[in-house]
Amino acid sequence: MIDCADYRRILLAEPKSTDPRLTEHRAACEGCAQWSAGLTRFEDRLERALQLRLPAARTPAAPIDNVVPLRAKRARPALRGGVRTNGAKATKPWGFGDDVPEAREGSRPRWWSLVASLVVAAGVAGLLWVSAPRESLAAAVVAHMAEEPEAWRRTDTAVATGKLDAVLASAHVRLLPNAGLVSYANSCEFRGHRVPHVVVQDSTGPVTVMILERESVAAPVNFDEAGYRGVLVPVSGHGALAVLTRTTALDPAAVDRIAMRVEGALDWSREPAGG
Amino acid sequence: MRDQKHARFQALCQTLRPDLLRFAIWLARDRAIAEDVVQETLLRAWKSQDSLHDEKSAKPWFLTIVRREYARTFERKRLPTVDLDDLVAGEEPSLASGADQDLAELRLAIFKLPDEYREPLVLQVLLGYSTAEIAAELELSNAAVLTRLFRARRQLRVLCGENGDEDPQE
Repeated sequence: MIDCADYRRILLAEPKSTDPRLTEHRAACEGCAQWSAGLTRFEDRLERALQLRLPAARTPAAPIDNVVPLRAKRARPALRGGVRTNGAKATKPWGFGDDVPEAREGSRPRWWSLVASLVVAAGVAGLLWVSAPRESLAAAVVAHMAEEPEAWRRTDTAVATGKLDAVLASAHVRLLPNAGLVSYANSCEFRGHRVPHVVVQDSTGPVTVMILERESVAAPVNFDEAGYRGVLVPVSGHGALAVLTRTTALDPAAVDRIAMRVEGALDWSREPAGG
Repeated sequence: MRDQKHARFQALCQTLRPDLLRFAIWLARDRAIAEDVVQETLLRAWKSQDSLHDEKSAKPWFLTIVRREYARTFERKRLPTVDLDDLVAGEEPSLASGADQDLAELRLAIFKLPDEYREPLVLQVLLGYSTAEIAAELELSNAAVLTRLFRARRQLRVLCGENGDEDPQE
């Protein structure tokens, strides 16, 4: 069995390590179990600290600035003791090494570089412009769920069936068993309406689903705000769904996969009460 | 067909841009430089998009370009050196805005980490890279990566007063 120093050394390098020796040691050592709880809290803060908010980059105007050639911009100061080139050579990281484009020393953008830049910028600007109203919806969803920390607990305890039914009844929807374990259900005021939301325990962690009958989005919109990742999904005839996670390691494709599973588990055939 | 491919690539750029920019900010410790680097990265990626054969590998492919562009920024400019504390003070308002106020101290501590500790930490925590993936990207051994990650967290916890006295020595 490993000792306390080794246990802590391993976890400080890889806090999410699944090494069975760690589990064994933690079970036998109260001091390390307590220390681990502190490290988990620290890691949570670290994840949130690294998720810088990027408001400027989300505005339609930002890409216009992007077409200004790098070399035309004001030179910025380097950092004392911090300048490093990493010795990045064109080896084969990820199997793409030789395909990753190399810059020519001292090269200057040619006219077609600027044209390509304009095309990229125009495309990104267009997408950002089209999605701007929906991003404000995403921001509202994130702000709302950030205020319900109890919803984000990882647990294997299901919410009472009666409570879940009562919450979903207002939206005339049922959640089929294939959604997975539902650990939380609540109905809150959101943009002037009662909005049901449930938390499904996914293998990657808790996933919140908000049923937004009064909102609409034209197409799925991925968002990444303040440490939350998720997607807004249109639901024909029923407004939209917001699916969000706090697992920052998840990429948009993984979020989409979770959203599709949850969306598929919603049964909208429930008759409105009294109708 | 070509238009479809370009549209997918644009969508990919839009999806990945926030993470690329965050990575570049942590690398450069300067938002303006980071934005320049990401812009150059997108441009270079656009020109070389045919070499990206599998979209699942897009993120590491883009990140590799970001790292190279960042390195080249310094090679090209031969910039003067300034005190890190001044630079951090200049960035402080953007690092401590709104609801993130409580994280400002930790962010400043991350800024103060040496590059060789900060970069693997960002790759691991922000971008979800495994130790082996970080080792491949930084051209280091797994053991070297683990040592840097250990030192990065240890220094951070000391800087933030986080129970550092109970952390192990090397």
